[in-house]
Amino acid sequence: MQSLAYIAKRLLLMVPTFAIVMVIIFLLVRLLPGDPAIAIAGDKASDADLAAIRERLGLNEPLLVQFWLFLTNTLQGDLGRSILMKAPALGVILDRLPTTAFLTLYAVTLSLLIAGPLAFVAALNRGRWPDAAIRAVFQVGLSMPVFYIGLVLLTFLAARARLFPVGGIGHGFFENLHQLFLPAMTIALYTSAIVMRNLRASIIEVLDAEYVQFARAKGLSSRLILGRHVLRNALISTVTLLGLSIGNLMSGTLVTETVFAVPGVGRLMLEAIFARDYPLIQGLTLTFAVLVSAVFLLTDLVQSWLDPRMRLT
Amino acid sequence: MNTRRIASALALAAVLGTPAAAQDRGGILNFARYDGSQLVDPIYADRNPDIWMVGSLFDTLLRLGADGKSVEPGLAESYELAADGKSVTLKLRSGLTFADGSPLTGADVVFSLDRARNGDLSSWAGLIGSIDSVAADGDRITIALKTPDPTILTMLATFNTAIVSKAAFDAAPGATDQEKSAAIFAKGGPGVGSGPFYLCGFEQGATMDFCANKGYWRQGADGKPLPYLDGVHFQVIPDDATRILKLQAGEVDVAEFVPFARVAELKADEKLNMELFPSTRIIYSPINVRATRADGSPNPLADVRVRQALNYATDKAALIGLVLHGAGKPMSSPLMAAATQDAVNMDPLYGYDLEKAKALIAEAGLPQGTKITFTTLAGSADDATIFAALQQMWAPLGIDLVVEQVDGPTRGAKNRSGEFDIHTYGWVNDVNDASQVVGWLGHTPTANAVGTGWEDATFNGLYEAAQTEMDPAKRTDAFAQMQKIYAEAAPLLFMYETPFAVAVSNEVSGYVQTPLGANVFEEATVSR
Repeated sequence: MQSLAYIAKRLLLMVPTFAIVMVIIFLLVRLLPGDPAIAIAGDKASDADLAAIRERLGLNEPLLVQFWLFLTNTLQGDLGRSILMKAPALGVILDRLPTTAFLTLYAVTLSLLIAGPLAFVAALNRGRWPDAAIRAVFQVGLSMPVFYIGLVLLTFLAARARLFPVGGIGHGFFENLHQLFLPAMTIALYTSAIVMRNLRASIIEVLDAEYVQFARAKGLSSRLILGRHVLRNALISTVTLLGLSIGNLMSGTLVTETVFAVPGVGRLMLEAIFARDYPLIQGLTLTFAVLVSAVFLLTDLVQSWLDPRMRLT
Repeated sequence: MNTRRIASALALAAVLGTPAAAQDRGGILNFARYDGSQLVDPIYADRNPDIWMVGSLFDTLLRLGADGKSVEPGLAESYELAADGKSVTLKLRSGLTFADGSPLTGADVVFSLDRARNGDLSSWAGLIGSIDSVAADGDRITIALKTPDPTILTMLATFNTAIVSKAAFDAAPGATDQEKSAAIFAKGGPGVGSGPFYLCGFEQGATMDFCANKGYWRQGADGKPLPYLDGVHFQVIPDDATRILKLQAGEVDVAEFVPFARVAELKADEKLNMELFPSTRIIYSPINVRATRADGSPNPLADVRVRQALNYATDKAALIGLVLHGAGKPMSSPLMAAATQDAVNMDPLYGYDLEKAKALIAEAGLPQGTKITFTTLAGSADDATIFAALQQMWAPLGIDLVVEQVDGPTRGAKNRSGEFDIHTYGWVNDVNDASQVVGWLGHTPTANAVGTGWEDATFNGLYEAAQTEMDPAKRTDAFAQMQKIYAEAAPLLFMYETPFAVAVSNEVSGYVQTPLGANVFEEATVSR
């Protein structure tokens, strides 16, 4: 009951946030240099064509009128018609969103699977060679650009070894686990490096904490200590970190989806920006803002579940 | 058997350098594209990935011959241009159908051409602005013209006049023609076009499928209807490196738009044919010729001698080596690619001559250290290379070339407003006639001579007269004069022509990309 009230309060607080986000989105798109009419009609279009397009899209209206239309239409769930796709922007986004959601969750899962065990091994062997080796390997992962990791994986695991397809997307959950493994791994290698460092530090901190020393002194098995006390407490900061890096993950999909030919919202965003597709850029930015807010809320909820000290108030 | 058809098949085989073997039929061709289609419709296709696919789904009344310059019968088996040049009559082939088997009639032709010339619907309507009315009487089509139009037959072989099914549009949901078109495209299926293929699958941004139209009227070398393939499966792979990897891994049969830096490497691959299809693409840089720059300062490039000097000081062979790794040639006509009708071969057009360039600069009295801004596309490796090369090539002239990087729409806006000194640009013909590109590059009322602000009354007069000149020899002569004037005035930095670089698996033959860019799968085969 208490957490329901908390969620309601958080949702209410999002209203002013989104009001600001809408203003920023609207203005940012219009601050981009370059004429959307040229982006639509191409360099070869005549001036009359361009004038007609500006008229049709309402680009000749005063900014305030344009903003009012954007606001009222958005509140009614109408994000406008994508110029590039010649279809309603909302439909285009919703078509592509599941792919990116799948890819992102897949990448987070992989990075936890990679980083979790290794962080434990590193923390428990603090200062000894396994710790140094693990940290060195992840340091390399962290310092390589995402697209480069992607191309290396593609060249060796897909084109040479033929273990995975070179880019594209499949149909259904299991086919995509295979098809999207490389793009997910590309994002995961980068993310897991951050997660590993953070988790290792947290584990070390918790291992040194008095309550863990006390549990040890009490004679609890190390399995119980690690599982109940160390993992749970160390995870708190990792959850926060993952939640806060949702923006990073999203921008990672921009590059990864392009390299791996995955038709998700990341690549869509790039296409929309290059085409000056105002409705689509606005719609996508709004979608990203909603997703980030939702993830932040979820992060808080999970945190409070992991750590009852963080009361939901 | 039609001898002309055999001749063109042989010509095609000769072009491809493969013997005319017994026909392989069936199979799906897997094709990796650089960008996806959004709406393949004759009149709404406004981006190359759409325009270049129209011909596969929709057939035109006339067709371009194998040489890319002549016109041949298409859906119309015969055609006649009236002696006064003010009407065209055509006779449709008998038994024509759309891909679903429904008959293709004169009513569909009238509907399609009326749609194509409606300026409220089609941004290409201006290309057929001479049409006054279109009428059908049985299989006889009469197109009345307001004024004689030397390009009308070519236009009837161009994508925007392709024939669509009136019945399909009547039945489609949607309030406007564009909504109907989008609904038809989203649904797919054989009912709307009469091309060699119909759309049988589409996932926005990911894949597209063409299935063979079993009732297509053209016949293959084996006397059975084209196409030879059962279908084409397209995958959109925007990243160059990934697209090539996909081909090397054997997951696709064709990868288009191979970066020129990779051409040599792929040529050496025994499993591939590295095709360099001749194109009408030219790469050039408009030079602002206005007396003053947009900020009001005097413009050194207003002096024709300076523009000529820049052209002489530009080593085209070196540029082609650096940017295209040798896979290109210098522009030989100042106004169009060599593959365009009426192109005059002026090779070498401003052949590299540094001494002449220096003399011209001295004559113009250009001060040492004159700053000129070169606007390039941000993120374009080619543009970055071009800038670096020009900066060095022009330094001996005392020119301090500085770079300004912008994106595509911004460059377009600058071109229109005249806020540039020199910027990179490119062009591919949409129409198989010189008038489109010449209008764009030189005719001031059309596009300010590609934004340069160059204006020449003689040139404009010649161009306008050529629009209604029905004598081919006189028209060719007019274009020749325009090319001479334009070369002299040098409102452009004349750079080079590039081919379409397409890597094709050995298992594929007969795939063609035309000089206009269109992807042609009609006579393609796969053997596995």
